[in-house]
Amino acid sequence: MQFQRYQISIDTGGTFTDAVVADSSGALHLGKALTTPQDISLGVRAAIEAAAAETGLDMQTLLSTTDLLVYGTTAATNAIVTRNVARTAMLCTEGFEDVLLFREGGKSNGHDFTQPFPLPYIARRHTFGVRERIDAEGGVRKPLDEEHLISILRTVAEREFEALAVCLLFSVVNQAHEQRIGELAAAHLPGIPVTLSHRLLPILREFRRASATAINASLRPGMARHLGSMEKSLRELGYNGSLLVSTSTGGCMEVPMLLEQPVHLVKSGPAMAPVAAREYSRRENEACDLIVCDTGGTTFDVGMIRDGELVRTRETWLGPRFSGELLCLSSVDVRSVGAGGGSIAWMDAAGLLRVGPQSAGAEPGPACYGRGGTDATVTDAALVAGYLPPEGLLGGLMSLDRDAAQTAVAKIASALGRDPAETAHAIINLAGETMIAAIVDITVAEGLDPRDCTLVAGGGAAGLNVVAIARELGCSRVLLPKTASAMSACGMQFADIVFEQAAGAFTTSSSFDRTRVENALAAVRADLAAIENSLQSGSGQSRTDFFVEARYEGQVWQLDVALRGSQLGPAEVKELVRDFHAVHERVFAVCDEQSDLEFLTWKGRLTVTLPKKKALRQPSLHTRPLPRERRAAFFDGVGLVDTAFFSGAELAAGAVIEGPAVITEPTTTIVIPPGATATLSGYGSYLIDTGVGA
Amino acid sequence: MSQVAAKSSAGLRDPVLAAVLANRFDGIVREMTNTLLRSARSALINTGRDFSCAITTADNRLLAVAEGLPVHTFGSHMQTASMTRLHSDLAKGDAFLHNDPYLGNTHPADQTVMVPVFAEGRHMFTACAKAHQADIGNSIPSTYHFGAKDVYEEGSVIFPCVRLERDYEMIEDVVRTGMRRIRVPEQWRGDLLAARGAARTAERRLEELCSRYGIEVIETFVEDWLDYSETRMAQAIRALPKALLSADGAHDPVQPFLPDGVPLHVSLEVDPDQARIVVDLRDNIDCVDAGLNQSEACAINNVTTGIFNCLDPTIPRNSGSFRRIEVLLRENCVVGKPRFPKSCSMATTNVGDRLVNLVQRAFASLGEGYGLAEGGVSLGAGAAVVSGEDFRRGGRPYVNQLLIGGNGGPGGPSCDGWLTYGIPVVAGLTYGDSIELDELRFPILFETVRLLPGTAGAGRYRGAPAMETTYGVRGGSMIVVIISDGQYNAPRGVLGGADGCLATTHLVYTDASEQRIANFDIVLLDGTGVLRGRTNSGGGYGDPHTRNPRAVRDDVLEGWETPERARDVYSVCLTGNAEDESLAVDVEATEKLRRADALPSSISK
Repeated sequence: MQFQRYQISIDTGGTFTDAVVADSSGALHLGKALTTPQDISLGVRAAIEAAAAETGLDMQTLLSTTDLLVYGTTAATNAIVTRNVARTAMLCTEGFEDVLLFREGGKSNGHDFTQPFPLPYIARRHTFGVRERIDAEGGVRKPLDEEHLISILRTVAEREFEALAVCLLFSVVNQAHEQRIGELAAAHLPGIPVTLSHRLLPILREFRRASATAINASLRPGMARHLGSMEKSLRELGYNGSLLVSTSTGGCMEVPMLLEQPVHLVKSGPAMAPVAAREYSRRENEACDLIVCDTGGTTFDVGMIRDGELVRTRETWLGPRFSGELLCLSSVDVRSVGAGGGSIAWMDAAGLLRVGPQSAGAEPGPACYGRGGTDATVTDAALVAGYLPPEGLLGGLMSLDRDAAQTAVAKIASALGRDPAETAHAIINLAGETMIAAIVDITVAEGLDPRDCTLVAGGGAAGLNVVAIARELGCSRVLLPKTASAMSACGMQFADIVFEQAAGAFTTSSSFDRTRVENALAAVRADLAAIENSLQSGSGQSRTDFFVEARYEGQVWQLDVALRGSQLGPAEVKELVRDFHAVHERVFAVCDEQSDLEFLTWKGRLTVTLPKKKALRQPSLHTRPLPRERRAAFFDGVGLVDTAFFSGAELAAGAVIEGPAVITEPTTTIVIPPGATATLSGYGSYLIDTGVGA
Repeated sequence: MSQVAAKSSAGLRDPVLAAVLANRFDGIVREMTNTLLRSARSALINTGRDFSCAITTADNRLLAVAEGLPVHTFGSHMQTASMTRLHSDLAKGDAFLHNDPYLGNTHPADQTVMVPVFAEGRHMFTACAKAHQADIGNSIPSTYHFGAKDVYEEGSVIFPCVRLERDYEMIEDVVRTGMRRIRVPEQWRGDLLAARGAARTAERRLEELCSRYGIEVIETFVEDWLDYSETRMAQAIRALPKALLSADGAHDPVQPFLPDGVPLHVSLEVDPDQARIVVDLRDNIDCVDAGLNQSEACAINNVTTGIFNCLDPTIPRNSGSFRRIEVLLRENCVVGKPRFPKSCSMATTNVGDRLVNLVQRAFASLGEGYGLAEGGVSLGAGAAVVSGEDFRRGGRPYVNQLLIGGNGGPGGPSCDGWLTYGIPVVAGLTYGDSIELDELRFPILFETVRLLPGTAGAGRYRGAPAMETTYGVRGGSMIVVIISDGQYNAPRGVLGGADGCLATTHLVYTDASEQRIANFDIVLLDGTGVLRGRTNSGGGYGDPHTRNPRAVRDDVLEGWETPERARDVYSVCLTGNAEDESLAVDVEATEKLRRADALPSSISK
């Protein structure tokens, strides 16, 4: 008998830190602990201990027999949101210092004059104009004034800045000036980390490059401290294996790379849910594209898997669109809306039922938490509709105040003139509307039809209305893993090392500049090869895929098209053009074969495969288990009906459950309406046939 | 109650289903918007966002507009009304092209693709995608022809609600007509296809919605939703004081067409008892022999925008809420119904911007907490239409409107002005151009795009500051068409707030000499100079002496305001300095200074 070897993934969220341990058989063991903001390593340690207990080991033994640990952190996201970042100076081309202030314009609701204009990510007073100018073709219109530059660098040193961001116009086309600033900064600002925009994000559009550069620069000192101390404490706990950190690219990276580019840490947690969903659906041989939802108490995240691949975007907002921060790096497309168990139901003055955007949050929380909340929330509605176990959540650890929920929902019910259970059901349905809108928005942008997709749901509050949402979208199948409450940490178990590098080389299909493009691709390939050589971990199996961001002449928004090879002779360009038309047709339902194409950014994605534990499949036997109990619950069309309640822990693989039914898992509740059928698979996922569509 | 589907007081027979369906209609308009935004060709649409999508009912009531520009909100239903009137043979698979300002359109540059949507053989809705084209074949290379004495001199190709598709097949005659007359025809064709794609997307979704819920449920919803929207508007108006309001202003003089400018007068009757607002625009001059006349859609739209700007921003904007607003117009009036063939080339901006401003300023005379100051109205160098031949690409022609460095927004009762406001009729919704993308596409070279410190209209809540944009041409020559306002009549402050600053446009020669450019002008840029535009700042709201001293300090710290103005305009005394971040309010000295300022000068001596 071989010794067990383990793989650990850790996700430090806002409230909970999740640890997931995979053993040699592929079984996953979950440990949860409260996140400890003062010293994150305490919560991490507690979560590992909890997961170790699930495997029947003590922590030291577990850590000493673990080969790979993937760490995920919200530290970068939190640092940006709270502006607890390094004091950062920004260098821009003189005359254009307000690039971060003006952004790209745009605003939500043109009639709303109560919104303050958002502050720039780096203050105007911390932004300095460099005397230089490069034009669109890379020509030097104004040489770099080094004397003036050095006086700026002296000021940066004197005023005790901790980090420097540099983003000059057209530095992507001609890197010379930024490179020279890098050299002079190294000499005049020893010890201060410098982020050069053409290195971090070689794409056109000055605001986007500047935004990513500024965010990256501001994170460098803090994230270096954070990752350094995390590695130190893991080593002190006795861990000697490889350490990787998950990123927003939907993979992970080694620590040294992230010390230079910590911007990849931002929103890395949500990016892992689609990675988990992809793996779970592969196991079940789901061939469809996936819509991936993660529902928490206050936020609903949605992402996609298309043709088995993660869908990525350069338009990731941290915070609200237009007034939040735009990350611009190619990252997994996951969009967040404010909706969850805490969303508050209310009647507006003209008699319309509304849910949200206000949320009771964690404090006071839903009325049924008994912490002083009196507004009816979605969680209260779930209790009144009869879905939640009377003994409370988390297996009874958290009791629920049924009367408080009843009182809260009754207020809405009397305004509506309906009975409480029906009202509760309406509240849950309406909360689903925000989620449906978010799903429609993201799938439309990618040209996906939800009806052709399987909906994969995670997060503690997912099971309440996911089947109802799927039905509204016309999805015939829902996949809900038993490990739904720790989707991000589970995703890390299935992640590879992923790194993207890009190079800008503008050209068109009618006058294709082959030399320029092949040089750009060669530079990308060389960069990625250097990164691969520097890696400590990985299986030695790697592949590099190349893409181009292209558009029709005159368009502004690019589409990614995969390159079939690295040679781009006339025949290959023709093929590339055809591929672009096909992608355009898929996404926008139109294509214009008469139009010239513009190619802007050439990028490579390095994927280094990490060793993965094989999935454990339980033998599954088609059974129809008896419910633990029967109670009344409210459903669309039938009202309050006798409903079967099952305890998830008691169900064996192959169990088939027909709605109306409710399955109670320790961390989630799955509502199966009449007409829907759930089957527990051998891999521990509930596969739900929603009873609509295909 | 629960046994009968009784109408609640608000008119909602099913408040839950209404909320669900309202969300679905909004979702469809958002989907149209995304489709058009991402697939359009001209920068004006895909970067500038100068387009809007809407859904109207078969009987031509506006139902949903989602994220559309304020200036486009009102009027789609007037265009669909002309569709149903002119085409008795509407059928599934039809699409129409409409840019006729005499038939309900905003102005000729806004081409609208309209698709009638059928369910069970019945015309249920019309999906409308309206987009401002980069060119429409005017006699000058700009979609804004200021000097046009009539539609003939204007020269735009007018499509008076013509059939564009039959049985889902493009009628190529129409496309050829446009291709022959419109500059950079491929770009136009691409934008037309994008608009058609957006309308067809909505058609599919609306058909699905009708079959999912059934026609009757949908029809009930439509009535309920319009009633609900009316109720929301009525409630907002009942909360206002009863008053007769008026405001006077003017569009700047324009040489040689309108040496006295266009004087404007707006009067409003706010009647909380009847929950109605009546706006009277009849007391204005006749149509002018220039492109400045408002179309009927724009005149109604722009005063409606002013009203919406002063009310709860969550009131739905549709024919239901519009029932509570009446706009009185006069035939052959510059802000009313244009008499064919008087030109409405510039109906969406200029005089339109002034109308929005006048209405929101009139509202401010209700007192503290009401209305808004005026926002900037200039459309100088940063908003010019540039055209020429690109020497880098073998002389290929180009034409497009720049959208860089717009005006400052107005101060309001609770908030400072929005910096990237643009003009009143777009209110910050449009995107700004990327310098790099503009320089890549056009042989243009920018020198500055920056905020101008110390320019904001002062107030308790100040306007947003002005901006400067400077550019020249890389090689060859570039025609720059400017149609500005705001060089003589500044955006006004309200309730003691200061006016915004005046805009200027200059041609700055290489020897540093400067030539002032008029509001409306065509400038030929060559290597001998650059164009420098400075925009308006927004007007201030309320007495600057009541502005929170900390906010004044923050403005100085960030270089939005100067220390001198902090003292002289805001009566705020500061200590320390911005460079080492020690800048702070001297509370005692500030209070003292503000007390002294508050006293009449005769007593304070």
